[in-house]
Formats: sequence, structure tokens, C-alpha cells
Amino acid sequence: MLPELFNPLGDPVRTAFLGAFYVVVSCLAVTLAFALLRARRDLRAGRADAIRWHEEFDDLPEARRRCRHAVSGRLPGRVCPNGFACGGCETHRTLVAGLPATRAAEGSEGGDVLGFDLPRARAYHRGHTWVEVLKDGTAWVGLDDFGTRLVGAPDEVTLPAPGSVLHANGPAWRMRRGRAQVRILSPLDGKVVETGGPDRGWYLRITPPGDGWDLRHLLTDGEVRPWMLREIENLQTRLAGAATGASLADGGTPVGDFPQACPEADWEGIWRELFLDP
Amino acid sequence: MDRSWLPATRSRAPLPRFALWLLPWVLLLAWGGYAAGLCLVRGLNQTNMDNRFVFGLWIFLDLAIIALGAGAFVSGVLVYLLKRDEVKDVIGTAVVVGFACYSGAIGALMVDVGQPLRAWFTFWHPNPHSMLAEITFCLTCYLAVLAIEYVPLVLRHRRARSASPLLAFQFELHHLMIVLAAVGAFLSFFHQGSLGGLFGVLRGRPFAFREGFAVWPTTFFLFVLSAVATGPAFLILITRTASALTGKRLVRQGTVDFLGRLSAWLLIAYAGVKSLDTLVWLNRTTPASGFHPYQFYSQPPFGGWILLTEIVLLALVPGLILLGKARRRSTPWLLTGAALACAGVTLNRFVLTIQTLALPTLPVDRLLLYVPSWQEVATFAAIVAYGVILYSLSYRYLPLFPHEEEAAAAPPVRVSGAGPRPPQETRHAA
Repeated sequence: MLPELFNPLGDPVRTAFLGAFYVVVSCLAVTLAFALLRARRDLRAGRADAIRWHEEFDDLPEARRRCRHAVSGRLPGRVCPNGFACGGCETHRTLVAGLPATRAAEGSEGGDVLGFDLPRARAYHRGHTWVEVLKDGTAWVGLDDFGTRLVGAPDEVTLPAPGSVLHANGPAWRMRRGRAQVRILSPLDGKVVETGGPDRGWYLRITPPGDGWDLRHLLTDGEVRPWMLREIENLQTRLAGAATGASLADGGTPVGDFPQACPEADWEGIWRELFLDP
Repeated sequence: MDRSWLPATRSRAPLPRFALWLLPWVLLLAWGGYAAGLCLVRGLNQTNMDNRFVFGLWIFLDLAIIALGAGAFVSGVLVYLLKRDEVKDVIGTAVVVGFACYSGAIGALMVDVGQPLRAWFTFWHPNPHSMLAEITFCLTCYLAVLAIEYVPLVLRHRRARSASPLLAFQFELHHLMIVLAAVGAFLSFFHQGSLGGLFGVLRGRPFAFREGFAVWPTTFFLFVLSAVATGPAFLILITRTASALTGKRLVRQGTVDFLGRLSAWLLIAYAGVKSLDTLVWLNRTTPASGFHPYQFYSQPPFGGWILLTEIVLLALVPGLILLGKARRRSTPWLLTGAALACAGVTLNRFVLTIQTLALPTLPVDRLLLYVPSWQEVATFAAIVAYGVILYSLSYRYLPLFPHEEEAAAAPPVRVSGAGPRPPQETRHAA
């Protein structure tokens, strides 16, 4: 016996009623199928890292999504709407077009920032990696001085195998210390040709994709100092805790291993915030 | 212990304290689970319902939480169809609360109807002339919509995000939310309305019977309006309670203002329409049925005070409270307004279920008394506990509030030479 559900030739009320629900159920099924198909297409096109960064960027607190021009004081308060993809940002293009003289003057401030060594020859990603393009066209990727001290002596570093393809803002390598672990973002698109490590001063040597290096989203020259000062502020805020009241200015130079110097802090939380791993 | 499962940039209570918070709710859930099991195994003789008092605490609970869960479809329409971006602050909460309310309601219905293994029957042999059939289909479909809306939220958890297929699926699903919001609005409109219409068509119950338009009695439209008015107020109540418990401001004031204002106007409109409907019912519908309206309000404890409380104290007054900007910005006033609105819709559903069945319909009848059994109370409590547990877990592990950190951040330490600050940060500088 056929169920009444499949008897559309009977009562017109029944037909209309069930027809409406067939439409609803079909809508839901088509929506799910469409999402699955599009997801499969994304994965085949290698867009997983870009999607991951898009989602992670949305989850970052507003203070971590500040535009580079907000950090340097040109556009106070501006939040980046592009996931740090400055290459396609009209505002960035306009501001940079009128800047050469200013940037040259600011560039003289680079190098040492409150005890952190940030060589001017390098370009910096806001996830605390640096890039140095070599004469042979490849580039070294490393962890900046602030990031290095933040992690201290890692127990384990998981680097991608040579031949792996990296995407800008996608995972580059992972680090673990004790039970805390964090992934470090790749500053560039590229292919890994050699791996280094904490002892060699750089972690990866990569070759550019077909269209060459695109460094437009990286911080250089006079942008590095105000950005780093903000990062130091963030770290101090996290370490100070809510219970700390008004404090005197500190001094001295940063130690080489922050977690060792302050073991009681929530280092996994701090790493994930400062390395943009929400 | 669960540090790596928590959102990195949001502070959460230590696990032992969180576990302590969950403990009483888990116990309540276990107690309710036991009671529901008794009802399913031994039958409805475990309850104090009978052949005359067929709708009890559970149906009242269903109607109330379905109305309170309307914030899910209202906020979905506002965000995805009307592009009100400020409502994104509460969309995560709305989805979780909606899912908890609807799944809880269906759970209670399964215990109430019994024989859950035969639940397919209603879909296989539906009676489209019954509003209950429409309610069954709408509730099930809308729960499916809410589950699909909940999926991207769960898959945005950092552990799930590390699996690329899940990540891509939730990303693409999120981009299709406009379809789900439209389907959800369609389903919600009809099942919220049909839940009201179900009582409005009862000619044999003149206390509930209403005239209307075409096949829909006025209670159909009143249920839709009251749910739409109360949904945003319930979201305010939930998020402000969560704020108070966590010591954080989770939602921006602009969002609260918008939701409060929306709820206020809708509540005032509801109070007006409900008053008009009541006047027509008192002066035309009831006399035409051979009753004097006074009869319905001369059966203690159901006096005229219930009607006045429902329309004035719990609809008009919260509407006026939430209408004022200064009162919306005062937490006690805001919470009072939102709580009164939620109490109003709850009382309305109580009147339509319990009072309707309790009142006599024949001269030989007397007022029926119904006191729920402990099994009914325990099942009721379990549904509430389930909602609290689901929301607590979602808040702890999922990114429910996109603007949580800014309000929660400690005042930043000022480092010499850190460059100009944006104006909003300057206010907090030490």
C-alpha cells in the first residue's frame, strides 16, 4: 500500500500542503549539496589555506586586525577589511603612492626596537615571521626576534618537507613547547626548497611562485617600529593581568626566553594571540 | 586542561569552575532523563494529564520556548535578508538558543506523544487538514534548518578548522545562509502562527475560540507577532545574563539598542492588536457562542487580573521600558523590560493551554484542576537544563560573540614611542 504522502492525485489541499514541504525539503537538500560541491571545488583549487586565513582573520580581535596604516598612525583606528592582503587594497595603494619621502625618513629608525633586533633588510609579516630575498631569487623565511624570544627553546619544530607549497597566511610550520603549541603563518606564497631551524637563524628557504615575489603585504622600513612597539604593549598587557594596577615604566633589555622567565603565564594563549592563531 | 580547545583570544573560566557550574544542570538533566524514561516505558499514567486535560506542562513549555526561540529566525532575517550588520553580534547566540529551544520542544513532544519509534507515521500518513500536521512538518523542517545553521558555528572551532574538507564545507555553507534564513522565516511564520491557530479554531472551547481571516483565526497572527516581538528581548536577556555571569560585555551597545527598540515597537503593536482582538472577542465572539465573558474570569484563580497582566504589565509596559534610549542603556531597566516581555509571552501561552483546558465548557462542568506530576516537572526541568548546558558549552568553545574581546580587554600598557593611538583606545590608556 502506497503511503498517503505519495498520493498527489487525491485531495488538492493535501497536494498543496505536501507540495510546499517538498519544496522546503528540496531547498535544504540543494543547499547542502551545493555547499558540498563548492567545498570540493575549493579544495581542488588549493584554496583551503586562503579560506582558513579568512576564517581565522574574522576571529581575531579587532586590535589584531588593525590596518598597517592605523598602526603607523596614518589612519588611526582603521581595521583591515582585506585579511592583510594589501596588494589589492585601494587605500593602501593611494597612501603608498604619496609616501616615498616619508618612508625614507622613517627608515632610518629601523634595526633595534627596545632591544629587539629587526634588521632593515627584511620584510615582516604580522604573524612574526620575516622574509629576506636572496640574490639567487629564493627567500629565507624566519621567526623574528620577538617571536623567537616568545617561544624560547621549543621542544619540537615541525617543518614542511622540501617541495611543499606554501600560501601566504597559510600554515608554514608548527612549534611545540611542553603542552603548548602554535602554528606559524607563512609570509609568502612559495615552494620549500630547503629547511633550516632555530639553530640556523632561518626556518625555510623558498622559491617564488610563477609570477615572482609579492611583498606588498609585508611591513618594511618605518612601519616596523610602531608595529613592534604595539606588539610589546600587547605582550605586557597579557603578562600584567587584570589585577595589576598603575605601574612604573620598565627598562632593561628583553630576556632570550620569555616562557622560562615567566613560567606561570598562559603561554599558549599568548602565542596564539600574537602569532595570529585564534 | 582544555586550553587547546578554547578560542585563543578569549578568556574563559578555569575548567574546574566551569565543571562546577555545569554540575547542577547535569544532575537536573539526569533526573529529567530518568523521568522521561519512566514516561516512555510505562506510559502517560506517570503524568497528571488525563483524557480531559490533554495538554499540560509540556505543551505549555513547548509553546513558550518556541516563542522565545523566535529570535533565531528574526535575527536570521535581519542579518541575511535585511543586511543589518549590527545584529551579527547576536546571531551565534540566536542560532544556539533557537536550536536548544526547538530541539528541547521536540524532545518534550516525543515524551508527550509517546512511541517515538513510530514518529515516522505522522510524516508517512499526514493529515493536511490538521494544523498539528503543519506544526509537525514545520517544526521538524525548522529544526533541520537550525541544525544546518549550527553546523558552521561548530565547524569554526579551531580543531574542526584544521580539517580542510570541514573548513571548506562550513565556509561555503556560511555563504548560503541567505537561503536558510529565507526558508527559516517561511517555516517559522507558519508554525508560530499555527500553534496559535490550533487553539483559535476550537469552537468547543469558547475561551480560546477566535474569528479571523480565511482559515486563520486571529490567534494565528497574534502568536506570530508576540513571538517576533519577544525573540529579540529574549536574546537581550540571554546575552546580558551571560555578560553578568562572565563579567564581560559581549554585545555592543548599538546592537542592544537596535534589538531593544525593535522589540519595544513590536510589543506596543502587539499590545494594541491584542487589546483590539480582546474587545471583539468580549463583545461579539463570546456572546455569539452563548457565553458571558465574565464567566471565564469568575473561576479563581483565573480572574480578570490575568488578562490585564498579560496585555498591560507584560506587553505594554516592557514595550514602553525598552522604547526609551536611557532605559535601554541602564542594565536594570533593560533586564526588567526584556524579562517582562518574556514573561508576557510565557503567560500568554499558559493562558491558551492550561487556562483554556481548565475552564468549564458545559453548565455541568466545573473548573478542572491540574497539578503536574514530578515526572512532568522533572522532564520540564531537564529541557531547561539541556538548554543551559548547550549554551554554556557553545559559549565556552565556539566563537559566539565577534566583539567579545574589545570589551573584555584590560587597559593596554603604554610603551614609550608606540605611535599615535586611535581615539577609542586613548580613552583606556593608562
